[in-house]
Amino acid sequence: VASIEVDGRRIAVQDGDTVASAAFRGGIRTFTRSIKSHRRRGLYCLSGDCANCLVTVDGHPNTRACTTRAHDGMRVRRETGWPNTEHDVLAITDRLHWAMPVGFYYKVFVRPRWAWERAERIIRRATGVGSLPTRARAEPAAARFERCDVLVIGGGVAGLAAAAMAAAGEGSPRVILADEGAIGASAPAGSRRDAIQALTREARAAGVELLEHHTAIGLYAGPSVPLVGPDGLVEVDAGRAIVATGAVEAHGVFPGNDLPGVWLGRGAARLAGSHGVAPGARAVVLDRTGEGVAEVLRGAGVDVIEFEGTVRAANGRSQVTGVTVETAEGRRSFACDALVLSLGHSPRDALLRMAADDPAIGAGDVVAPGCSLEEAIESGRAAGRGETPPAHDPDPWPALGAGGYVCPCEDVGVHELEAAWAEGWRSSEIIKRYTTATMGPCQGALCSRHLARFAEGMGAPTAAAGRTTARPPVRAPILADLVGTVHESIQLRTALHVRHVDAGARIDRSGSWMRPGTYGDVAEEIRAVRERVSIMDVSTLARFLIAGRDARRLLDEVFPIDVAGVAPGRARYVIALDEAGYVMDDGLLAALLDERYLLTSTSGGAERMEAWLRDRIDRRGLHVHLVNRTAQLGAINVAGPHARDLLARLADDDLSRDAIPYPGHAEITVAGVPCIAIAAGFVGELAFELHHPRSRSVELWDALLDAGTAWDLRPHGLDALDVLRLEKGHIYLGQDTLPDDHPAKLGLGWAVDMTKPAFVGRTSLIRMATLPLERRLVPLRFDASPQRGAPLTFDGAIVGRVTSCTDSTAVGAPIGLGWVRGTDGRFPSTLTTDGATATVSATPFYDPEGGRLRG
Amino acid sequence: VAEIRRARIDVVLAQAGQETLDRLVLPGHGARPLRTAPDELLCVVPAGSGTDVVRELEDRIAALEPDGLVLDVTDGWAGWTLVGPGAERALAAVSPLAAPDVDAFVQGDVARVGAKVLGEPDGALTILVPSSVEDHVVERLLADARATEVRP
Repeated sequence: VASIEVDGRRIAVQDGDTVASAAFRGGIRTFTRSIKSHRRRGLYCLSGDCANCLVTVDGHPNTRACTTRAHDGMRVRRETGWPNTEHDVLAITDRLHWAMPVGFYYKVFVRPRWAWERAERIIRRATGVGSLPTRARAEPAAARFERCDVLVIGGGVAGLAAAAMAAAGEGSPRVILADEGAIGASAPAGSRRDAIQALTREARAAGVELLEHHTAIGLYAGPSVPLVGPDGLVEVDAGRAIVATGAVEAHGVFPGNDLPGVWLGRGAARLAGSHGVAPGARAVVLDRTGEGVAEVLRGAGVDVIEFEGTVRAANGRSQVTGVTVETAEGRRSFACDALVLSLGHSPRDALLRMAADDPAIGAGDVVAPGCSLEEAIESGRAAGRGETPPAHDPDPWPALGAGGYVCPCEDVGVHELEAAWAEGWRSSEIIKRYTTATMGPCQGALCSRHLARFAEGMGAPTAAAGRTTARPPVRAPILADLVGTVHESIQLRTALHVRHVDAGARIDRSGSWMRPGTYGDVAEEIRAVRERVSIMDVSTLARFLIAGRDARRLLDEVFPIDVAGVAPGRARYVIALDEAGYVMDDGLLAALLDERYLLTSTSGGAERMEAWLRDRIDRRGLHVHLVNRTAQLGAINVAGPHARDLLARLADDDLSRDAIPYPGHAEITVAGVPCIAIAAGFVGELAFELHHPRSRSVELWDALLDAGTAWDLRPHGLDALDVLRLEKGHIYLGQDTLPDDHPAKLGLGWAVDMTKPAFVGRTSLIRMATLPLERRLVPLRFDASPQRGAPLTFDGAIVGRVTSCTDSTAVGAPIGLGWVRGTDGRFPSTLTTDGATATVSATPFYDPEGGRLRG
Repeated sequence: VAEIRRARIDVVLAQAGQETLDRLVLPGHGARPLRTAPDELLCVVPAGSGTDVVRELEDRIAALEPDGLVLDVTDGWAGWTLVGPGAERALAAVSPLAAPDVDAFVQGDVARVGAKVLGEPDGALTILVPSSVEDHVVERLLADARATEVRP
């Protein structure tokens, strides 16, 4: 006999069983404990909408037992409660409501601050909600793309009708229908199931592709819909999307509404009708929807008491033992072990609510809750034709009772909503945030409409009483599914990548680029640059050709330098500012002939720089040709006192200071490879960046290595570069900077010509110049090496942090850069960090006159 | 099954005003013009003919517009051709782009990289990506499209 193991106990399973139906048949009534009050929670909806049956199945936490097929040998563990779900000591919290008022998180443990950090961990453990299988080896799920003309989400009558109609349209459109279960499996026997079978045949005949067991977890612009299925993630880009996800029954709110034994009508009917398990021996039934749940229960041998009226309370401690109702004859009480409620329909409209600006339309119950079978089919056919079907609000809808849980997932009751309102929170969105109602695993499926009705009933303005926002995922996927599509760990490689690997370099990831960190001996690489000659692959630099009759005008408008003053053959350091005056990027602007310019900027910043310039070109309607040449050009930096000597061995061109001044450039041919040689000084020595066709990189690299043997040339990597640039006090944008850095904070005021009448960011810089600097980046000399990121303290208070540091042989001490906060524009000059003293120093640390880089 | 082959091509870029490019007489040499933007044209030509195409385009554009721009950008692009009945499915495994008809092209995301996809005879597809991400795209095609048996 097939069986599953629940908390170590073996339970037999029958054909068609879910974990929930098997466990219930095996006598389990409490599936979870609630998140705050640790109240018992039992099966309720059996449709995957509520969070009452989340268990760990074969190591996967938070699995819905009611929608998970039971298989022989499955291991199931209930997640909540201590020491276990049946006997939960933490249930004492149900008596401590006074200590956990609404807005608890905003009121308790706020001071002292350290208390919250500790309390948070304890609270997390107390809530339960499963443990991540951190030792499991996770493989990203497979992912694939599908495109279609129409995507229908939901395989009920409305969805199938919509799909069949859409597929029969002109031009043989491709139509995909996705359903989170097996189509028709959850429909009760009778006319609805017959209609589903007929419509399924019709849809198949029309060519609709049916994706069963595929759950839509979000609806994004496009429309684009990720479906989680048994074979991984399917990303569907559709011409249009039709949402036909139906409705869940309305959740009744009254004292005791969360006790095990309280059921939504369809849930009880499904347990009895599909799995042959009676939800109780004696059930009190209130059926306002006319779906005939009482008959289904009777068929399973349940003693049914039907009534018309209102439930006042469900009674019992660990499960329902009786109910009190209000009928036309007055208040009555019944003994029972099940209370089954069909109170109305609550549309599963989360997908529609997250697609407000997209062409997604709803069909069937999701827009017309409680519609008849015929109405649902006609609604679907209208949607299939591209029309918007008629819609109406849920009717009937149960009023809130005198107590009970509005949001069972988060243990938010009627009294919590009332308390939030009394404290002054006046809209459903704010009450949501304050109470956490709708923020549980069911994503507000049960309670968001109650919350909106509550706000409306209390007199909130219409705009403040709406449904709260829905966000993906509407059904919880596992992490492997979420990363299934994230395979864009894109590695950009230069044309010299194989050369670096062959040379034994340690390859590091620098942004998206793969770059050599070191070739084995960083100190020797630094010596080569400082004393002899070295080369570095700098093909990662972003490079742009800017041409056209408005090229100079563009550059003049965007950069804070006098572009007209950059003569052909010369180059100038530039920083790019945004409208707020913050530094976005920096680089070198080289003026070519014929009003053309070559702009270099930081590695990894090419796309942003291109977008920034293009935006400017388009907005201003400039006649500018902008070509991103980053991928077309290789670049090798030849640096060191013998850099010119090395090039002279391989080039016949004039390499003198007059021919290639610093900073300047010239077109030369090195070892037969045409290059633009830019004299640049990032490492503080005479250096020439050789920008050349990418296809010639290997040839040029090999020639330089070969000719460089005369000076014991060694290539250098990022580790050496980090030391070399710090010795010159050069910053790394991103590592040493923050998003709101204007030039003065970085000590780059010299790179801004404020006499220019206009450039991007100028107005903001003028405004900020009237304020004292609150922090700035300073060069630091240490008496012992600190860790990068270590806090900088002054008078016992943290006033900054170290952003870069290194041991410098050339300087003879550890040096670095760091942020320091000031007071009224004054900054401390001696600080402590990581056990060391840090002294604010002058920069550059190395060759302050700059004689070496001019050669 | 799809087979993946390196495409032997040169690529020439022309930037000029929209009207100029609308009126431009396209060069021969088996050039495949891709109008990637109103003011931009990429010409994909057989390997070795890039220089001739640059010269022809320069002359023709100069006749229409004095400061148009023509560049041989072959080094910036890498082309790979998917051949065989599984070509379209292999593309679908790494891209939301619809396979273009013969002689048409589409541009967008292929393996999360900005790419151009060119329709070829017999259902083949040529994928054009920046050279710096060539390895990434080929690795993704071989890995993600394994269900369709992409073979080098």
